[in-house]
Amino acid sequence: MTCVNVGDVIEVNGLTKRYGAVTAVKDLTFVVRPGHVTGFLGPNGAGKSTTLRLILGLNRPTAGSATIGGGPFARHRAGLRHVGALLDAGDVHGGRSAAAHLHALAAGNGLPRRRVAEVLDEVGLAGAARRRIGGFSLGMRQRLGIAAALLGDPPVLLFDEPINGLDPEGVRWVRGLFRRLAAEGRTVLVSSHLMSEMENTADQLVVVGRGELIAAESLAAFAARGAGASVAVRTPDPAELAAVLSAEGASVRPDGADGLTVTGLSATRIGELAHQRRIMLYELAPRTASLEQAFMELTADRADHRAADCAADRAGHRADRGAADRAADRARHRADALEGRP
Amino acid sequence: MTSARFRDLLAAEWIKLWSLRSTSWLLGLGTLAIVALAAQSSLDAYQGWPGFTAMEKARFNPLTEAFSGLAACMLMIGAGSLGALTIVGEYATGLIRTTLIAVPVRHRVVAAKVTVTATVTLVAGALVSAGTFGVSHVILSGRGVAVSVGDPGVLRVLAANALLAPVSALVGMGIGALARHTAAVVVSVCAALVIVPMFFRPTVHQWVNDLYALVPFYVWRTCLGLPQLRDDPALPTVAGSWAAFALWPLAAAAVTLIVVRHRDV
Repeated sequence: MTCVNVGDVIEVNGLTKRYGAVTAVKDLTFVVRPGHVTGFLGPNGAGKSTTLRLILGLNRPTAGSATIGGGPFARHRAGLRHVGALLDAGDVHGGRSAAAHLHALAAGNGLPRRRVAEVLDEVGLAGAARRRIGGFSLGMRQRLGIAAALLGDPPVLLFDEPINGLDPEGVRWVRGLFRRLAAEGRTVLVSSHLMSEMENTADQLVVVGRGELIAAESLAAFAARGAGASVAVRTPDPAELAAVLSAEGASVRPDGADGLTVTGLSATRIGELAHQRRIMLYELAPRTASLEQAFMELTADRADHRAADCAADRAGHRADRGAADRAADRARHRADALEGRP
Repeated sequence: MTSARFRDLLAAEWIKLWSLRSTSWLLGLGTLAIVALAAQSSLDAYQGWPGFTAMEKARFNPLTEAFSGLAACMLMIGAGSLGALTIVGEYATGLIRTTLIAVPVRHRVVAAKVTVTATVTLVAGALVSAGTFGVSHVILSGRGVAVSVGDPGVLRVLAANALLAPVSALVGMGIGALARHTAAVVVSVCAALVIVPMFFRPTVHQWVNDLYALVPFYVWRTCLGLPQLRDDPALPTVAGSWAAFALWPLAAAAVTLIVVRHRDV
C-alpha cells in the first residue's frame, strides 16, 4: 500500500433507530477522527452493530444522520475505495472460493485483479485462496473479511468484533494491523464488547450502552473514571494486616483466603507497615485503575442481556429497587473479578 | 482513480454467477436433459409414424416433439430458480451487506444483476430452443415430416421457447427479492410460473380469458408456442402474448429494484 491517505472523519449526529417499540440506537452523537484507532465499546445488544450499519447506509435511521467525509456513504459508486468494513465474517457465500469472493468485490469497484492476491497475502490466506469459504473456520472468515476491507486501500475502516474467533497470534497480528492503519493517517473504528480487547489497541473510545452514548473520550480519560488505584496483597495473616492497614486509613477488602485488595495506600507504604509489624507478605502488587472496571461500572446499569437484569425484567413492573441494586452489586463483583486481567 | 463503471458491475455479477458450481451444473444438465427429452420424444414419433392414423398424421406438430409442455416447465423452473438464487443467495447468506458496502448505490447493483441474469438465461434459452429443434429436425426428417425454420410461425415458436428462460429468470428474481427464504422462494417460483397457470383453460367468460392472457406460460401454451393459430377470441393474440412476455420481467425487475433499495439489510 503505497498511497498515504488522509482519513475522513466519521460524524454521527443525533442518530436514532427504532424497530417497532424497540429503540436500538437513541440520539447518538460522536465524531471519529483520522489517525487514531477508536474503540467502539458496549455490552452485547448496546446498539454497536446497528450504529455501524447506519453509518454504512445499510439501515435507514429513524432520525439523525451519519456521514463519512462530510456526506452519506450511500452516495458512492465504488464504496471500497472510501470505506473498508467488516461487519460480520459470515456475510459471504459459502459456495465461493476466497479468491472468487474478493475478485467479484474488486471487479465491482474497478480495482485491479492483483489486489486480490495482495490482500490475501497480507491477511495470511494466500494458501487458502482456492478453497471454498464454506470450509473456513471463524478465524479464517475474519481474516477474509479483513482482506475485503483492505481491497480498496480505503481512508476509513470499520470493524465489528474483529477479534472473535482469532487465535492468539491472529489477535496480535490484527492489533498491529489496526495501529499501522491508524498510523498511516486512516480513520479506524473497532467495536468490541470486551474492554480488555481495546486496552492495547485503541487510543480513543466511544462507549455505548442500551443505544445511548456513555462516553466519547481518550482511553486515558476513560480509565480515570474507574475506581482509584489499588494494591493486591497476599499474606498468611490477612486479618492482622487488614487491621494495621485500616488503622492507617486504607480501605481493605478481603480477596480469597489469604488475599486483600487495598485502596488508599501505596504498595511502598504497605510494605513498610508489614515489615514494621513483622507480617510476612507473599505478594504485593500495585494495580492501576482498571479500564475493564471503569467500563463495567459505567455500563452495569445499561447492559441489556445480563442474567441479573433479565431476572429483574421478568419481575416486570413489580421489580423492586432491591433487585436492581442486587443486579448492580453482582455486576460490580464481576468487575472486581476481572480487575486482574491483562 | 477512476470510479466504477457499469461494465465493472457487470463483471462483478458475472464472476459471482459463475463462481458458484450450481450455476454450471444447473445450466449444463438442464440443457442436456431438455435436449435429451426432445430426442426421445422425436424418436418415439419416428418409430410410431407408420402406425399413426390419418387424423394423427394430419394433427402432428413436429415442434411439440422438439419442445413439449414438459420441456417448457423444466426450462421455466430451472431459469426461475437460477434467477431467484442470484438474489436469495445474497440475502440468505448476508452477502448482500458485503455487496452493498462495496457498491453503496443500490440501483446499480440491481441493474447489473438483472442484465447479467437476463443475458445468461437468454443465451441458455436460445441454446435449448435451437438444440431441441435441431435434434428433432434431424430425427423427423427421416420420415419427411420435419418443419424448417422458414415455415410460417416456426421462428416465432423458437423465439418464444428461448424467451421463456429470461422471462422466468427475472420473475424468479422478483419473487426472490420479496420472499428471501430459499425454500419459500423455490416453491413460489414453481407455483407462479408453472403450476397455477397449468390449470388455466379457455372459458366462456371473456374477462377470465383476458386475465389468463396476461400469464406467460398460458400464452406460450395457447399462442406463442403453436405454429398455426386459430382465430378464436377466447385465445390470446400474438401481440398481446408478446406484451405479457415483456410485462412480467419488467414488473419483476421493478419490484426487485424497489425492494432492494428500500429494505434495511
